[in-house]
Amino acid sequence: MVGVVSVAVNLLMALGMAGGAGLWIDRTGRPSRTRRVIAVVVGVALGALTWWGITSVDKLETTATGVVVSILASGLIFIAANKLFDLAPDRWAVFTTLVGAAGSFAVFAMLWGNRGIDDPALRTVVATAIGGVAGYLLGTVERSGQRLAIGIGAGGVLGALAASGMRNVGLKFTVEQREFVVWPILPYIDYGVLAGAILVGAVLGLLLWQARGRRNPLARSLLLGGTIGFFFGGWLLPSLGSATKTDAFVAAVGVGVGIGAYLGLKPIPDHSARGRIEVSARAYIFLVPALGFIASTLIIPTLRTLFLSFHDARGQEYVGFVNYGDVFGSPNIFNVDGWAGIFGSKLFWVGAVLLLIGVGVSVLMGRQSGYRISFSPGSGGLAALGALLALFAVFAALRGTVFNNLWWVVTVTVISTTAGLAIAVLADRSKGESVAKSLIFMPMAISFVGAGVIWRFMYLARDVSKPQTGVINTFWVGLGNLSLSRGPGFWIAALLSLALAALLVRLAIRAWRVGERGVGAGAAVCALPLVWFAYALWRGVGGFEVRDNGDVVASTIQFAQQAPFNNVWLMLVLIWIQTGFTMVIFSAAIKAVPSDLIEAARVDGASEAQAFWRVIIPQIAPTIGVVITTLIVLVMKVFDIVKVMTNGNFGTQVIANEMWQRAFTELNFGLGSALAVVLFIAVLPILYVNIRRMQKAAS
Amino acid sequence: MKVKLVRLLALMAALALVAGACGGESDTPSTPETVVVTSIVTETETVTEVVTETVTEVVTETVEVEMVNPLAGTTVTVFGPESSDAEAGSHQAALDIFAAQNDMTIQYTGERSFSDLINAQAAGGNPPDIAVFPQPGKIADFAREGWLLPIPDDVIATMEANIGAAWNAFGNVDGVQYAIPTKADLKSLVWYRPADFAANGYEVPGTWADLKALTLQMIDDGNVPWCVGIESGGATGWAFTDWVEDLTLRYEGADFYDEWVAHTIPFNTPEMNAIWTEILELWNTPGAVYAEGGTIASTFFGDNGRPLVEGDCMMHRQASFFSAFFPDGTGFGPDGVDVFYFPSVSGDRPVLGAGTLVAAFRDAPEVWAVMEYYASPEYADNRQRFQNLSKGGGAVLSGFLSPNLNADLGLYQPLEQSFLDILFTAEVVRFDGSDLMPAAVGAGTFWSEATSAVNGDKTVDEATQAIEASWP
Repeated sequence: MVGVVSVAVNLLMALGMAGGAGLWIDRTGRPSRTRRVIAVVVGVALGALTWWGITSVDKLETTATGVVVSILASGLIFIAANKLFDLAPDRWAVFTTLVGAAGSFAVFAMLWGNRGIDDPALRTVVATAIGGVAGYLLGTVERSGQRLAIGIGAGGVLGALAASGMRNVGLKFTVEQREFVVWPILPYIDYGVLAGAILVGAVLGLLLWQARGRRNPLARSLLLGGTIGFFFGGWLLPSLGSATKTDAFVAAVGVGVGIGAYLGLKPIPDHSARGRIEVSARAYIFLVPALGFIASTLIIPTLRTLFLSFHDARGQEYVGFVNYGDVFGSPNIFNVDGWAGIFGSKLFWVGAVLLLIGVGVSVLMGRQSGYRISFSPGSGGLAALGALLALFAVFAALRGTVFNNLWWVVTVTVISTTAGLAIAVLADRSKGESVAKSLIFMPMAISFVGAGVIWRFMYLARDVSKPQTGVINTFWVGLGNLSLSRGPGFWIAALLSLALAALLVRLAIRAWRVGERGVGAGAAVCALPLVWFAYALWRGVGGFEVRDNGDVVASTIQFAQQAPFNNVWLMLVLIWIQTGFTMVIFSAAIKAVPSDLIEAARVDGASEAQAFWRVIIPQIAPTIGVVITTLIVLVMKVFDIVKVMTNGNFGTQVIANEMWQRAFTELNFGLGSALAVVLFIAVLPILYVNIRRMQKAAS
Repeated sequence: MKVKLVRLLALMAALALVAGACGGESDTPSTPETVVVTSIVTETETVTEVVTETVTEVVTETVEVEMVNPLAGTTVTVFGPESSDAEAGSHQAALDIFAAQNDMTIQYTGERSFSDLINAQAAGGNPPDIAVFPQPGKIADFAREGWLLPIPDDVIATMEANIGAAWNAFGNVDGVQYAIPTKADLKSLVWYRPADFAANGYEVPGTWADLKALTLQMIDDGNVPWCVGIESGGATGWAFTDWVEDLTLRYEGADFYDEWVAHTIPFNTPEMNAIWTEILELWNTPGAVYAEGGTIASTFFGDNGRPLVEGDCMMHRQASFFSAFFPDGTGFGPDGVDVFYFPSVSGDRPVLGAGTLVAAFRDAPEVWAVMEYYASPEYADNRQRFQNLSKGGGAVLSGFLSPNLNADLGLYQPLEQSFLDILFTAEVVRFDGSDLMPAAVGAGTFWSEATSAVNGDKTVDEATQAIEASWP
């Protein structure tokens, strides 16, 4: 039965919308025949679609039609609202009638939709009529006493109408033979709080009146503030659900009378004021849907999360900062016990030495060129690498969810940005640029979950008695076999790497003679690992292990399981995805650097490196900032990759996944919300910087 | 003027009906509930097709009784975690038979995320009429919240006539019966291949010491004794908790086990740490474990079936439902894959079990009638019949075991009968401890800390201490 009624209502709704919009689209006057036909067709189509969606039991169909109907309805509401305000300047009474009717209808329809009132259809029709009449009267009657009476009367009647239908018991209703219970919505008013809220509202109204230069009558400002205070005190502050009918009447009639009196106190605006109303209304038509959406999906949930984070697991008892204490008191989330291990780790000292060398060389180079410090790609890269390695050692020693997240942020942001920038610079104006860039950009098209699954296969290991099927372990174990075999494959690999090394050394010597010292040094450095590889192959490298009894067995790397560096293997997945993004952005920025700037630098004798560091980098600095902040925010929220690959086991937990597990598996909404708030606060400064930058750029 | 009026009316209608959209659309309840509603409808349809024949048969039998059934026209909703076609389908089919007999409607909805959804439904005031709980711990939570209804005496009488006291106790909270056991899993089992044992001259071990000795002998003979894997996505680690529970029952006895589960004994007592150490020492003995995924922690628990069949390992300890994880065409019994009882330490035969129980949220005659049906051998037999059919019929393991003592054993395969025999004759039956513990431990730290310990990231001491600290 309910189904039939809702189908009928929706059909009518669709027809009415389409008809109304079709007629009103024509600004000039008489709607043409074509428009009428279009309107009817649209209406019938919408109605049929709605019918299909409601009667369908298929989730997909229901959702799809719901989406289509909502989009069309929103569009038509938008058009209708614009048309409505077209009326304001010239046909004021019509305008106020419609606004009154539509406003009352909207309030009652919302109560209807949320099952707030009994007998909703009748009440809604009556309320719409009362609202329309009151609007008409307020748009035509000019005497102030009468206006006030009309406003108070209509507001009071509408409030009483709503309150009389409100339910004070849990409402049961049945859909598809399934019974549902809805909570009651009546408020339980604390009259002290109500009075306080009204007072606060009135004071705010007074301050606003003062601030706006006392242009409006004082009574109106006080009334407006008091009414808003009444609304808060009557509906938002009291606990809904344990109610009395009297309270409902007080809360509803009070607000209704307040709004009515406020409107009644306003005189009918003259033509120029109406014009202003029309103009300013446009802004609201655009803003209100967006603001409403932001409020309902972002601001209210944020406040609710904040509220929950100070309450117990069920969100009932206030517990103060206990949840935050738990976040930073749990060794799985925040563990600094291993800090001494930082100074015992080889990695840290290697990193520190590299950093020192890099900075030292840069300072020396700076002396030559007259700057305090001057990074070349070599020395800057060395310093960055050193810093990164030292940080790895720090994060490998400080364990827990929070440090894992910081590790992610540092590693992914630094490597993705550097690699993206390097590729963008190297590929710039070179042959095959577009092909290379397309290949590197491609992983961007893969979802995080998909990438996680792909890399699980890359990192897969099997029992060492079986052939490996994971890509990297296959190579690793294969390399071990090659190294041990001393067969033809071994010799080919060893000689090949030595030959390549020899070629590189030859290139280095030549370049050195010609004076291309940079190329020479680079080639020599590249030759080193090849020589080392040949040597390692001889000594034995790859996935094998010699047992005590002399047996040689295969040995695999458990990329996702071996803490703490499994974190880095997981980060590699995100780097793989994100480098394409940074590369594309940087590439565009570099191409936007005016070429005459670079040419001028060259004419002045700048080297290739100097042109890069002193001209290109400052030119694309804002882009680098945007990329880094975007990446940081993205990496802070990392969830999918960890969820898919380890689910936070093996010391790879991150805040987002920890939050999910606490809140939804263990149903500890307090702790889960506290984690969410921690994440939110951590992201805030970066967002702030980003917004400030955008504002600066705009001004 | 006329045109104006038309436009005005049209606009009013448009606005009115647009606003009405809010009201009209919310006639169907908010999203999660809609999902429930629609899936109920679809599932009933598909299942009815499957069972039409049997149902009509039963109907013709009962029509002859010619009496006005007080349940006629009523509807009962059931919500549970069994969501695979075989399980949900046969569950619904078994319910449909009762529904057809009484001219009523019973709708079963299965969702894998049952545990999360039932929380929201119960707390939000719109639970199903009956829920199928896999975790007695949750039944206790719900009963203490006042959400579940105590079972009336006549239904309890039926239950006690059919189901053993040990199983019924899982549905008893603070002395009040809230739930009826409907499905049983036997966890204290070791899967093996008798042919492999015979070829190597191994005997099925009778005690835990024998089992350890057998393990060492197998290693000496160059065989790999165990297949172990504890990876299970979001539930990684549960397979280890089963070992812990089984050995706790064996070493420390049922009373200690009950106190440990109820947390009157701390989680990290020396006894528990010793049991963890015992298991990890066995697993970490060189050559003792074949891990398909490279390490125990990275091997999916279901990936242990194929290696056992192919001879990569000799034994695998896992519950009765593991029959579904062997490769297609695997034979069961003395000629294929068989099981032996996970041996005890001191000669008693404690059994670790698991299963589902039904509890009611609505006080109505039709709800209690369905609850009573759940306690009857008819439900057990119908369910087994359909589930066997859904797996292909004949000599297959259905994956379903009933705790009902009066169920028709002829419907089960010999191997399944031996499972039931162990379940019914065991003096000490205990429910899977992690299912009894609060979710933060039983579905949280117990799993994750066990994984850390198995993977060698934490010592036993650190892991059990972390679990103790997380107990709410």
